[in-house]
Amino acid sequence: MFPGELMETLDPYTWLAEHGDYLFRVARRQLRSDELAEDAVQETLLAALAARARYSGNASPRTWLTAILKHKIVDLIRRQVRETGIPRNDDGDENWEALFQADGHWAEPLPAWRNPQSEAELGELRRVLNECADRLKPAMAQVFSLREVAGMETEEICKELGISSTNCWVLLHRARLFLRECLELNGFSGAISS
Amino acid sequence: MKWMPTCKAVTELASRTMDQRLPFTDHLTLRVHLAMCRNCTRFMQQLHEMRRLFRVETAADDGAPGLPPEARQRIATELQKKLDS
Repeated sequence: MFPGELMETLDPYTWLAEHGDYLFRVARRQLRSDELAEDAVQETLLAALAARARYSGNASPRTWLTAILKHKIVDLIRRQVRETGIPRNDDGDENWEALFQADGHWAEPLPAWRNPQSEAELGELRRVLNECADRLKPAMAQVFSLREVAGMETEEICKELGISSTNCWVLLHRARLFLRECLELNGFSGAISS
Repeated sequence: MKWMPTCKAVTELASRTMDQRLPFTDHLTLRVHLAMCRNCTRFMQQLHEMRRLFRVETAADDGAPGLPPEARQRIATELQKKLDS
């Protein structure tokens, strides 16, 4: 019926064996929880199994599974938002206004970021990046990671999370202002030795 | 958007252009301002740099743990149940 190779790409145990770790890591980065990431992988594979008749074989199994995973991640985030009652209009307590003068100019000049010269320095910047990302407020972190980590289009994110596009832009913009500030304060603009 | 926007307003355009094609006038406003403003130019560059860093970070699997064995077993069992049903 099927050529052997296609049969193999449709075998759920092969998916689990070959892509389980990858799917788990992608999910874990966004859900920031081992347990939720495991759920996401399980739901993805079950959904893939149910839908495998529709798998065209055009995309690689990993690409196909990752596309399903993204939807499962959004579902889990949505469920989480409902359960923890995180306000959708979370605009944070940070004083955004302090970044700018009353006339709208930058309050402080923006220093250039340094170019890491060694593995150790790069490792340090990566650590700061992850720590700053962890400090984003939940509503901002969700939208930001779907955009920058999962690479989803904003339109898709707004639709999936049921928020207005204006709200989506505001969350993304504030997340970026916050992250930039956090990175700068934690060593990204460290003295460049020349 | 006013013709002579503030840096604060320009950061919003800068952020938005990371996600969407800006309407022509907004695009022009952004470009004209960036040509004159060192801070906002830096802001724009740093937004691109942040995106690049997150992409690199997402692709890097080093050290990130994989699917735990118990979860793998549980998922295999669930798949089997579904196959049998």
